Amino acid sequence: MAPSTRSAILRSIIGKGNGELETQRLCAACAEITGMSGAGIMLMSGDVPRGEVCATDEVSHLIEELQYTLGEGPCVDAYNLDVPVLEPDLAHPGVSRWMAFTPPAVDAGVRAIFGFPLQIGAVRLGALDLYSDRPGALTDDQHANGLTVASIAAQAILVMQAGALGGTVAEQLEISADFQTVVHQASGMVSAQLEVGVAQGLIRLRAHAFGSGRPLPQVARAVVARELRFTPSGTEAVA
Amino acid sequence: MAKQAQLAKTLVELADTLVADFDVVDLLALLAERCVEVLDVGAAGLMLAGPDGMLHVIASSSEAMRVLELFEIQSDEGPCLDCYRTGEPVIHQVLASGVGRWPRFASEAIEAGFNSVDALPMRLRGSVIGALNLFHEDQRGMTQDDLAAAQALADVATIGILQHRASLEAQALNDQLNHALNSRVTIEQAKGILAERLNVQIEESFGILRSHARNHNLRLADVAHGVVAGTILASSLDAPS
Repeated sequence: MAPSTRSAILRSIIGKGNGELETQRLCAACAEITGMSGAGIMLMSGDVPRGEVCATDEVSHLIEELQYTLGEGPCVDAYNLDVPVLEPDLAHPGVSRWMAFTPPAVDAGVRAIFGFPLQIGAVRLGALDLYSDRPGALTDDQHANGLTVASIAAQAILVMQAGALGGTVAEQLEISADFQTVVHQASGMVSAQLEVGVAQGLIRLRAHAFGSGRPLPQVARAVVARELRFTPSGTEAVA
Repeated sequence: MAKQAQLAKTLVELADTLVADFDVVDLLALLAERCVEVLDVGAAGLMLAGPDGMLHVIASSSEAMRVLELFEIQSDEGPCLDCYRTGEPVIHQVLASGVGRWPRFASEAIEAGFNSVDALPMRLRGSVIGALNLFHEDQRGMTQDDLAAAQALADVATIGILQHRASLEAQALNDQLNHALNSRVTIEQAKGILAERLNVQIEESFGILRSHARNHNLRLADVAHGVVAGTILASSLDAPS
């Protein structure tokens, strides 16, 4: 695929709609332009994943969620290292990494995955995940396009945030996002149940998710729905 | 060092603006200095427009130059001003005291020993951010090569300054976004704490947080922070009105 100009990319992001920037279109454009099966954008703040701004499909959503829960993966590495992180064959990786992330991602059909940091100069926002259901390295053009869409995505996100009312996340950024609201609510509930700080609450939630083999958001939802309580002596399922 | 090499070195130095300790004044002082050293210009000076569009003298290769540039601004007359306003180069203007385009400026400049001037725009496409003044003792005029070199130096400095400004803006927006994301986390955590302590649904606990904030003229994020930190007890919160 030939390298796309920035204006062509911007046109496809703004699209046929009302001329508004939309994160869903942004994600879709990232995947289309690089010829990938799907794309997801993760925001980080304080060097911690804060959640996903958008994901084109269930698999991309899973990729974002796994990285959020496990704190490891191509987006996390791309953000921390400030360089694209490329894994052309996730099922038979050349480099041994992401021990917890890889098996569920491969199970879900991810065969190649590439993380591009979202940066504007020294300003770091997060990272863009691009995945393919077929193994294979990016061509030079795809790599160039990946860098371009990542750069545009970073600028688009800040442009959207510029329209936010003081102290809040811009509505345009919230619309398709998943900022793990339920996990934070559950952390609060667990911290009150156990009389500990919220950080501890989250740790206990994660430990339970890991121990029971359930995804963290699922455990969090159970806590919020009051189907699961944490007590000093353990957890109890509430009928 | 040969002239070409000096110019190349200067271009690289001017381009290096995306650094933590970047200082516009230092950058432009370097530019002024190099114009004098490398391009055999009598004196060089730079003006940048502030947010209000008014020009300010940022760097001058000599005190005499600085005084003349300030004079231009104060008397609203001179090559730099014309250059900035039109965004076009002002080339090889020979000065004659009290007459011509800038009568008062010409008198002052001649008295200071300068007899011809050039001014080049600091411009990137449609954005004119300032101008580079080049003053000469003689009336020969600069060579095409030297003018091109001076414009190239001004262009690199312009790009660097614009990038730096964009970077500051991006930093501010990112900080805002981070802050908002962090507040969100705290608010959600507080909702969970209240839901548990007051035995209410999450939605209701949000209502309680909001009411309390409103009634006590506090920011929602601050109330949430208090709940999470334990400085605001669940029992002390107002019931939703």
